[in-house]
Amino acid sequence: MRRETQNILLLLLGGALIKISLNGDYLRYVKPAHLPWLIAGGAVMVLLGGIAVVRDLVSAKAHQQGGAHGEHGHDHPARAAWLLVVPVLAVFLVAPPALGSDSVTRSTADAPTEPGAAFPPLPDEDDVDVVPLSLSDFVSRAGWDETGSLDGRTVALSGFVVHSERNTLLARLVISCCAADAFPVRVALTGERAAELPDDTWVEVTGTLVPDGEGEAGGEAGYVPRFKVETLTEIPEPRDRYEY
Amino acid sequence: MTTVSDSDLDEADPSRGPRRRRITSVEVLCVVLLLAIVGQTWLQSAFDLPALRTGATVFVAVCVQALPFLVLGVLISGAIAAFVPARVLRKVLPRSESAAVGVAGVSGIALAGCECASVPVARRLIGQGVAPSAALTFLLAAPAVNPIVIVSTAVAFPGEPGMVLARFAGSLATAMVMGLLWIRFGKLEWIVERALRKLPDVHGKARWTTFAETARADLVDAGGFLVLGALISAALNVVVPDSWFGALGDQIVLGILVMAVLAVVLSLCSEADAFVAASLSALPLLPRLVFLVVGPAIDAKLFALQAGTFGKTFALRFAPATFVVAVCCGVVAGLVFLGGVR
Repeated sequence: MRRETQNILLLLLGGALIKISLNGDYLRYVKPAHLPWLIAGGAVMVLLGGIAVVRDLVSAKAHQQGGAHGEHGHDHPARAAWLLVVPVLAVFLVAPPALGSDSVTRSTADAPTEPGAAFPPLPDEDDVDVVPLSLSDFVSRAGWDETGSLDGRTVALSGFVVHSERNTLLARLVISCCAADAFPVRVALTGERAAELPDDTWVEVTGTLVPDGEGEAGGEAGYVPRFKVETLTEIPEPRDRYEY
Repeated sequence: MTTVSDSDLDEADPSRGPRRRRITSVEVLCVVLLLAIVGQTWLQSAFDLPALRTGATVFVAVCVQALPFLVLGVLISGAIAAFVPARVLRKVLPRSESAAVGVAGVSGIALAGCECASVPVARRLIGQGVAPSAALTFLLAAPAVNPIVIVSTAVAFPGEPGMVLARFAGSLATAMVMGLLWIRFGKLEWIVERALRKLPDVHGKARWTTFAETARADLVDAGGFLVLGALISAALNVVVPDSWFGALGDQIVLGILVMAVLAVVLSLCSEADAFVAASLSALPLLPRLVFLVVGPAIDAKLFALQAGTFGKTFALRFAPATFVVAVCCGVVAGLVFLGGVR
């Protein structure tokens, strides 16, 4: 592969990293804390490619310096470098969406649990009627909180709808670094409304945890609490699709 | 990869002779980009299958997550080539090779990146005259024993300090054992000649040219193989069903082996793998520890990077050996620090 082609690819790939950082698409792939890394990495790629292009142009003008190129040791075929085209095309043309229902049905991994972890109390019932909670917070409270902070409390959860073999689930994916390490957290929704919605519809539900006894949904891998739905609203897909 | 045909030589040197009218890689690239843009709608509809879409997202995620670390690695590699003369490195490292292996393993603590960063750095260390055994020890130690990895392991396994200790000890032991094995059995001719080439010491302004040029060339080289590794890991992520790992709770030997293979297959970033291990709560701690020791030492992405950087002959010997050593060190560290299978 020619030097020029390599430099063009570096400019494109660096540009792709900067593009997804600026338009927020990076949140489909990595956690928010990666943003400075992405911008810096993209900028360095563009710089390295750009400097090489400028130097080549300058030395092409001053023809007597032509021999200087030999020092840089480009005498092996960099065929693998062609693969750099793939992420460039994937980012600019396909722009894969954030993980959704397919990953939830695919995975059997369970959310990490911390037996005996202390959960901060929810705000007082007199002050707040409906407590907004993240889905992972809700599931770990339902499974592990011995103080019963969820008992009888109305909470608001958001996530996307997934139909498993036996249940209608509300799910979110939790990532700790990038989408490759995502694992799902789920609750099983009661009621007809949710069952009619197609997979990957984003909804906000309010309701309560179904108390012990029939509290755990059957037929699922891992722990899935049941959630009694009071209201259900379709919402647009949020910017932050993952929980962290 | 070692054969150099005439056309490649021609391509590599744009300043050579009068330009002949022939199809160059620049034109090929333009055609590829044009075709892709024209076929964009088709391309997007082709990725409408759920499994393919998941694979594409995982692929882009691994690339996006790893590329900045690779950039960090090539910058360090460039800096070593330009600003650290070989004689300085020789002075810093102990004369005895075994002692140098020890120093290299411990100095892995200082490079706070994941595995992609350490491959170009190790290659440059070898190029600058550091004993391969020490450089390879550094390659294996850096991604596994740095502070970020230690902290994220502690966060993922609260209440299990033994897990953090065992991971640290297991990984460091893997790196040092591999270094010592290389002293005993390793042969320099397994590594391709271009990885061993020493860059001439430079002074003044030329240093910056060397810095930029080394970093650029390393990035192009390693970047392609990183993409290959990301493709493999995304494909396996989708193809290998998760349920294979669910039913292993009480078969400890099988569990250890499967988790070791899973670490290779998934190619997770060493800063995140602890959280994945924590999520596989059906398994006892020991197989999950092996997962954490094997992952940063050898995985699909690293194998592709090593094959690209040091050559296939090297990677085909080094990678399986690393796998076996890492599994053994992980098991021993688990038995010592976790006090059994648990």
